[in-house]
Amino acid sequence: MSEPMKSSKTGHVLEIRDVAVHFGGRGGLLGKSGPVVKAVNGVDLDIARGETVALVGESGCGKSTLSNAIVGLQAPISGSVRISGDEVVGASRRELNDIRRKVQMIFQDPALSLDPRSTVGATIGEPLIVRGVAKGKALKERVATLLQQVGLRPEHADRYPHQFSGGQRQRVVIARALALEPDLLICDEPVSALDVSVRAQILNLLVALQKRTGVSYLFVSHDLGVVRHICDRVVVMYLGRFVEMADRDTFFANPKHPYTKALMSAVPEADPEVQRAKQRFILSGELPSPSNIPSGCAFHTRCPLATEICSRERPELTPRADGARVACHHA
Amino acid sequence: MDAAANPLLSVDRLTIDIGGANVVDDISFTVAPGKVMALVGESGCGKSLTSYAMLGLLPPAATRTAGRIMLENTDLAALSERQFRKARGKDMSIIFQEPSASLDPLTTVGSQIAEAYRVHHGVSKADAYEKARQMLVDVGIPDPTRRLDQYPFELSGGMCQRIMISIALICGPRVLVADEPTTALDVTIQAQILDLMKKLVADRGTAIVLITHDMGVVADIADDVAVMYAGRIAEIAPVHDLFRQPKHPYTALLLASVPKLDDAPKTDLATIEGTVPTPNEFGVGCRFTERCPLATEKCRTEQPPLFDCGAGHRSACWHIDRMAEIREVAA
Ligand SMILES: Nc1ncnc2c1ncn2[C@@H]1O[C@H](COP(=O)(O)OP(=O)(O)O)[C@@H](O)[C@H]1O
Ligand SMILES: Nc1ncnc2c1ncn2[C@@H]1O[C@H](COP(=O)(O)OP(=O)(O)O)[C@@H](O)[C@H]1O
Ligand code: SF4
Ligand code: SF4
Ligand SMILES: [Mg+2]
Ligand SMILES: [Mg+2]
Repeated sequence: MSEPMKSSKTGHVLEIRDVAVHFGGRGGLLGKSGPVVKAVNGVDLDIARGETVALVGESGCGKSTLSNAIVGLQAPISGSVRISGDEVVGASRRELNDIRRKVQMIFQDPALSLDPRSTVGATIGEPLIVRGVAKGKALKERVATLLQQVGLRPEHADRYPHQFSGGQRQRVVIARALALEPDLLICDEPVSALDVSVRAQILNLLVALQKRTGVSYLFVSHDLGVVRHICDRVVVMYLGRFVEMADRDTFFANPKHPYTKALMSAVPEADPEVQRAKQRFILSGELPSPSNIPSGCAFHTRCPLATEICSRERPELTPRADGARVACHHA
Repeated sequence: MDAAANPLLSVDRLTIDIGGANVVDDISFTVAPGKVMALVGESGCGKSLTSYAMLGLLPPAATRTAGRIMLENTDLAALSERQFRKARGKDMSIIFQEPSASLDPLTTVGSQIAEAYRVHHGVSKADAYEKARQMLVDVGIPDPTRRLDQYPFELSGGMCQRIMISIALICGPRVLVADEPTTALDVTIQAQILDLMKKLVADRGTAIVLITHDMGVVADIADDVAVMYAGRIAEIAPVHDLFRQPKHPYTALLLASVPKLDDAPKTDLATIEGTVPTPNEFGVGCRFTERCPLATEKCRTEQPPLFDCGAGHRSACWHIDRMAEIREVAA
């Protein structure tokens, strides 16, 4: 593989090459050697500055594992992850510390990412203090600005997480993630736990922040309506591999992989006329275990189009005329 | 509406008190056999309490202070605990939002499902197990024979939720109350469960009260919708009318905050500022006043009754004639 170039040349804030993350195998629970869980396999992905890429797929398909590998919380068994040109895989703790300035992550449940005993101001200011970016009056001003950027008020700095609603807490988490002005923000189901009206506020906020700062997002979600609204490009993952990748309009106008079509037909549209007229493409069975991935195309156990070759040969992601990339023998 | 003509279930002026506040306030609706009534609204609006009351399962802190709950000609609220228990399972079932709280951790899921059946049908253990196995197939659980012998802790959350659904459905209840039954599930599984519910409604004439905050689910399965806000019904209407022509500002804003098919990407979604008032913040007038773009002095001081707009459409708003303004805010 050729040496990836620095971001200044490619313009990519994220470059992932052939990443695999496996769990277990040796050791395992109580010293027994369990089966290897192949959570992520052979994944390639680039994200450009200011771009939002959505990562979709059923629970257990490897979305969080991939996210963790990107921020260096989980070591891949092979492959390369570069954040604005710097290699994450195999980086020393010190190097990782520097890289983490450029990539931050927010999670579904804001309550879990906030320390209930710290004021919101202390929480948001912490990364700035730790890295010696600001202190004293400058720190206070920076925290106030961050609070305002996420739609909160400077005086909120003195309050504790329990004094906020779920939506406000997610704003605090976003403010903290933005404190070091990262190039890439990984959002792992950031609005899934929120009521629709609050969800709309947070989505508006993420869009506005991107316009202002040029931050890129990897947006993990199972809500295709939200994905359609917020992303530039969509990646569909199934049992640890990407099965389809396309820009937003192509993806929604002309989905190709049978799994993508099944996902799309399963998402209910918030319009009774559209929803009830929709052609259904119901999947049977459920996700096989990533410790026992089916041979050939991993989707063949549930795919209505599967033929003999599908259980024998794994289809590679190949480009199509409209720019989409699809891993399927028959699509 | 034929639901009014021949209801199977009618909730009539139900009022529930917690700590001196009417957290459910004068709620009425009816459900005919083979119909689905959806209850929607943000968290804290009283949806779950309303559903618990229907099955005589209110938490100790809550008291039903007024209203009747009629299953055909029986006033459920007048039943003794023993009579209620008998009705539950056979005539009426509930699916709770949180499956872990309602499954017995020390009993295999097979016994739990089979027992639910045996209590109401005098069949052999073997027959009840066969029935349970079939039920697992219906809710899309693969390898059902093995699953029957497992304990809840051995199953994923989504799997436990489907076990709960199996227990609720196995006796073919005439009324099914489902509190966010699919919120924790993947969309692919959600689609299977919704199809199962539709089949129940079509084949057996089951009446369903479905609580959800997902407007897509409402659009998919509901015949009628009651939008709840801060313990009261804001609007109630047949599903098509509600989506096409909402007559309450809260409904219109809720609908507008969900991303639509034809939205341009990364544009601002409509939001509802503020949060649902807590019971100690309830004012004397319309409880939506603080967040409503149309609010006037009258709204603050006088509670709007549910106005009849014809064709089963009712709205509790003083300014229904100004709904065009909301559509501008929401656009
Ligand atoms: N620390 C871990 N040890 C073992 N298996 C894990 C671990 N983390 C995740 N997995 C497994 O890896 C697979 C992918 O999980 P995850 O990345 O969390 O999926 P998603 O976020 O798409 O729901 C799942 O089968 C999960 O059980
Ligand atoms: N056991 C309880 N004790 C005290 N307050 C409760 C209890 N259950 C619900 N409430 C309050 O009653 C209101 C309605 O709650 P709920 O019916 O759970 O709403 P929803 O299901 O619409 O989210 C909320 O203000 C909630 O805080
Ligand atoms: S390769 Fe075969 S099994 Fe896989 S998605 Fe395509 S048709 Fe289905
Ligand atoms: S009654 Fe007034 S405050 Fe309430 S929804 Fe109508 S316009 Fe808004
Ligand atoms: Mg995850
Ligand atoms: Mg609830």
